[in-house]
Amino acid sequence: MKLVEVTHLIEIPLTVEIPVGPQHPALHEPLLLKLHADGERVVKVDVITGYNHRGIEKLAEKNSFYRDIFIVGRVCGICNAVHANCYVRALEYILDVDPPPRAKYLRVLAMELERIHSHMLILAVNAELAGYETLFMYLMKDREYVMKAKEILTGQRVLADYMMVGGVRRDVDEVKKSRILDIVRRVEERVRYYHNVFREDATINKRLRDAGRIKQVDALANSLVGPVVRGSGVKTDARAHDKYDAYNEIPFNVITEDYGDSYARAMVRFGELYESINMVNYILTHLPQGNPVPDERRLPRRFPEGESYAIVEAPRGELTYYVSSSGGDKPYRVKIRTPSLNNIVNSTFAYIDQMIADVPIILGSFDPCISCMERAVITDLRRGVKYQIPLKVLGGVKK
Amino acid sequence: MTATAQSLVDSLKEYVIKSYTMKPNRVVVEVEASKIRDIFVKLVEVLGKGSFYLATIEGTDLPEKNLIRIDYFINLFKHDTYLVLRAYMPRENPVIPSVIDLIPGALAGELETYDLLGIIFEGNTHLRRSFFVPEDVSSKGIYPLRKDSGV
Repeated sequence: MKLVEVTHLIEIPLTVEIPVGPQHPALHEPLLLKLHADGERVVKVDVITGYNHRGIEKLAEKNSFYRDIFIVGRVCGICNAVHANCYVRALEYILDVDPPPRAKYLRVLAMELERIHSHMLILAVNAELAGYETLFMYLMKDREYVMKAKEILTGQRVLADYMMVGGVRRDVDEVKKSRILDIVRRVEERVRYYHNVFREDATINKRLRDAGRIKQVDALANSLVGPVVRGSGVKTDARAHDKYDAYNEIPFNVITEDYGDSYARAMVRFGELYESINMVNYILTHLPQGNPVPDERRLPRRFPEGESYAIVEAPRGELTYYVSSSGGDKPYRVKIRTPSLNNIVNSTFAYIDQMIADVPIILGSFDPCISCMERAVITDLRRGVKYQIPLKVLGGVKK
Repeated sequence: MTATAQSLVDSLKEYVIKSYTMKPNRVVVEVEASKIRDIFVKLVEVLGKGSFYLATIEGTDLPEKNLIRIDYFINLFKHDTYLVLRAYMPRENPVIPSVIDLIPGALAGELETYDLLGIIFEGNTHLRRSFFVPEDVSSKGIYPLRKDSGV
């Protein structure tokens, strides 16, 4: 019997690899998600990070405690007030400083306004990714009013730099109070309208429901935080646990949903919008008297030895700051753990067995790279070389 | 220290070297680096899986003592308590067993701490340089958060 001589070995990959990012018009963070897909189903996701690491922890070690307040405020544009608040409270714990009640209320006001515009932004993006761009435009328009309210309070619509050790940087008067209340009243009406759109619109429901379902036990084991874990039915919220600033006096509810899909997470955000709006109303009608602005010249230049760990409920979830002082004017170590580190790096399991088309809904965005698909590896056994050809020309290849 | 925290420290007493509080009210428990897995197993046993999560892993370089310190911040959200497990390792060979098979949420923290500080989490096959650090720094074998890294 004559044996057939094997000359070529053809490997056809079972999965295709689709890189999403790091640069893409609709991707909100410079992040690369490598999807491995079998047909339309995702079987594995690798997260490749490091495109935007700015070395802020190292930078914080090299600058003084007070300069770092401005550095940490620039970690994130959207939630700069919570970053600054968490860091400032970590310093206050080390110094044993307790800000006046009015400052505590105003801090919460700034952070809740931030939560309102942050949730409106992500809900707008959810709508856009589901293919509903008109809703995106409307939500973004109304979000702008909240930015205005934040400007009235802090003096800046984005980077507030509102927090100071021992208080806040400026006070509100009666005119500002009534303007903010007026804006919040109008925004609440619009939020009710958008909530109805999310509940009733067929496109939103079809795209968001069942996309990226996360069970309660998985959410906890993988340390997911914020609306993601609350959307899976876990009642955890740093505001309720730690009761920092004025959260022990301002009434609010922790919103949870049980189902754990993208729709449940959107509904948690809507619930939190109402809670935040109520809190803003409560704060502006129950604001304690006093001076919330500390005298900067009287703050201690040198810090005692010590360490502290502050947590804050940022719009995206629990944000933590560890600050260690060895005495002196610079911190020995500042550790920042942002909610997205846990929520993005640890959540790759949520994409498994989902349709490729649902990945943008779960992730935020997605862009398939065609040049990485449709490839087979051919090894020429006689010459010992490997080369690649597209699958579609495989049928015609002779050697 | 709250009653819950006290009873938790008591249940871990065979592993506890020292315990104290960190401001504002975090319960710090110093333990042996090599026992970290046993402690997480014990925590799951005592608390159950659904009542805590590992929030943060933080490493600090202490060149004067020739040590590297690692802190695991655990949020016991059902008891409004924060537990900190603290361990020290020699600076030349900072090795600690990985806990990702017990607590998958440790993944992000372990990857970050390895890349920035060089703590090796034994058993974590996902560890790689340039998770966060730019390649021109990581290719020289520099761990930026070490105090003598020159970064």
